[in-house]
Amino acid sequence: MSTIVIDHLARVEGHGGITVELEGDAVSNVRFDVFEGARLLEGLVRGRRYDEIAPIVSRICSICSPAHCLTSLKATENALGVQVSPQTDLLRELLLRGESIQSHALHLFFLAVPDYLDRPSAIAVAAEHPAAVMLGLRLKRLGNLIQETIGGRAIHPVNAVPGGFGRVPSADQLIAIRSALIEAIPDAEAMLDLIASLPDAGFCHTPTAYAALYSPDSDRYYAGDQLMIVSNGDRATVPAADYRSLTNEQPVAHSHAKHSTFNGNPFMVGSLARLTVNPSRITEGSATASGRLKLSIPSDNPMDNNKAQAVELVNDLGLALDMVERLIHDGVKDEGCVPVTPRAGTGVGITEAPRGLLVHSYTYDDQGCVVSADVITPTAMNAASLEQHLRKTVEQSAERDEATLKKKLQMIARAYDPCISCSVHLIRR
Amino acid sequence: MGKPTVGIFGLTGCAGDQLAILNCEDQLLDLVAFIDIRDFLMGSSGNDTGCALDVALVEGAVLTERDAEMLRAIRRRSGLLVALGTCAVWGGVAALDRDADRARLLEEIYGETGHGYDSMAARALHEVVKVDLRITGCPIEKDQFLAAIAGLLNGDLPVYPEYAVCTECKMRENNCLLIERGEVCCGPLTVAGCNARCPELRIACIGCRGPLGDGNPNSMLEMLEKKGIGRRQVEDKLRTFAPIGAGQ
Repeated sequence: MSTIVIDHLARVEGHGGITVELEGDAVSNVRFDVFEGARLLEGLVRGRRYDEIAPIVSRICSICSPAHCLTSLKATENALGVQVSPQTDLLRELLLRGESIQSHALHLFFLAVPDYLDRPSAIAVAAEHPAAVMLGLRLKRLGNLIQETIGGRAIHPVNAVPGGFGRVPSADQLIAIRSALIEAIPDAEAMLDLIASLPDAGFCHTPTAYAALYSPDSDRYYAGDQLMIVSNGDRATVPAADYRSLTNEQPVAHSHAKHSTFNGNPFMVGSLARLTVNPSRITEGSATASGRLKLSIPSDNPMDNNKAQAVELVNDLGLALDMVERLIHDGVKDEGCVPVTPRAGTGVGITEAPRGLLVHSYTYDDQGCVVSADVITPTAMNAASLEQHLRKTVEQSAERDEATLKKKLQMIARAYDPCISCSVHLIRR
Repeated sequence: MGKPTVGIFGLTGCAGDQLAILNCEDQLLDLVAFIDIRDFLMGSSGNDTGCALDVALVEGAVLTERDAEMLRAIRRRSGLLVALGTCAVWGGVAALDRDADRARLLEEIYGETGHGYDSMAARALHEVVKVDLRITGCPIEKDQFLAAIAGLLNGDLPVYPEYAVCTECKMRENNCLLIERGEVCCGPLTVAGCNARCPELRIACIGCRGPLGDGNPNSMLEMLEKKGIGRRQVEDKLRTFAPIGAGQ
């Protein structure tokens, strides 16, 4: 027996590794190891008041902190029977677009692209291609501008609270975002050119099931309460409240991330899953982008998640501009927050974080304090699917030398854009 | 003299302070012109994991034996060790109940599988190794990070505020959430440096930068008790980001 070990995965968020055990050329075992410490935040929020929960659980992960914050608020508001205004819904959607722009730009330019160019880091890429790295930095900065303006801070937003926002953005702030989004139109084109120019990475092919928030008539990261899984052309919807029938998590010894399966089969969440589940998201602009990147949906190649992120980045920029135009046109009202009256109840919130489906669920007592909490993150949902793709990568590789196999394994892991802090989530069974 | 060698590391946490560094989009390329980043796992797959470092920037808290070993190894190879962010400086949210029965929590969350996990109560870096500079914040503020790098490049340590978020809030002429609205605002007891980010948005401070050295919690507890807010609620809020007694 031989073993391939990547003991500390670089250019991802958090601490994880990969172990592949081989009997000759046959793969006997594959593990995506997570050694991020367990923070047990679920246990620690128990007894805390409804208005303290989102800021604590947003600390699960920095890159996805707006998604954690807003998913937490959505679950809490569902539990406490709070209905927020359409303006709040729109601002929350815009905040998640900002998050996605920042996150996808960070992942594509700083974490994923260096592999395709055989460089260890974006800093090394910058030595030869400074314009490419500066392009990534500009797109990233634009995502952060939206997050700072709407969320009050780029990382761990402070402005989003139960019932609405502390302070809504001013007209001047929205106009500044609009100008930045208009200036970014050529950057989006240049980004597509760059991604289209990368060498092909089609070394792992296998039919894959995909799951995402289902939004039949519109493109939403925030609103919606239906999940959909697409597998072998079959589509099944699951109401948010029944999320456990989708996730069906199992703890595993080698990882603090539980593994999710649907009917015993792994599924993938994230950009590629969103495009597969919601064909209505393929707008004219994103169809052109998909064509330029030669991305066809459904895909059997997990590396296509990188292309799907590029398509989404174009989509996010366009939709953010539409939303900002609408807010400027309608005017943003300083409407204050919807008052919250504590009551006992359970609420589930589902959204699309940059890395995929995110679920929070809380049960509150009649004082509005948490009795139990459950958080299921995209990276935890992806763990079983990632292991399956790591296995296929080794099985399908014609080159058997360890260096090549290691490089392919790392590229697959990075294509999932794992957020390992996130994966260490904290479920109460 | 060559560029100073720097390592950027994360223990258990959310990676928000490393992300805050990467969020210095306008300064990042200048930054790498002045410092030689040799070891940065989140940013590079080509790291020198053994070289001596002039400065180590470390975020996150110590939650596992693996974290503790990694931190000791970083300390051994580094001239200056900088604690980056509230988790590294104070323990952060993972330390919000250090007395909790972890074995029981692990079992509740992971079932029997949790028995073998490497897991202990969160500790700040200075509880494990010597720390030379502390940059607090959840996450760190970019300007304070850049000031630290500029200072270190010039052989100096940055000076950070030793007054309360309240002071910054008054400078911005905000209405007081604590006195006027009776909200549990941690501003009087939290160290400044965020320019009163939350109260400026009419949101009560939750103390994410950690406690002020010479704050007066009893005075705040008494004032809120008179407004009908129980001690327990205030204490819970005050220890969300830093366990009582840590950091001294």
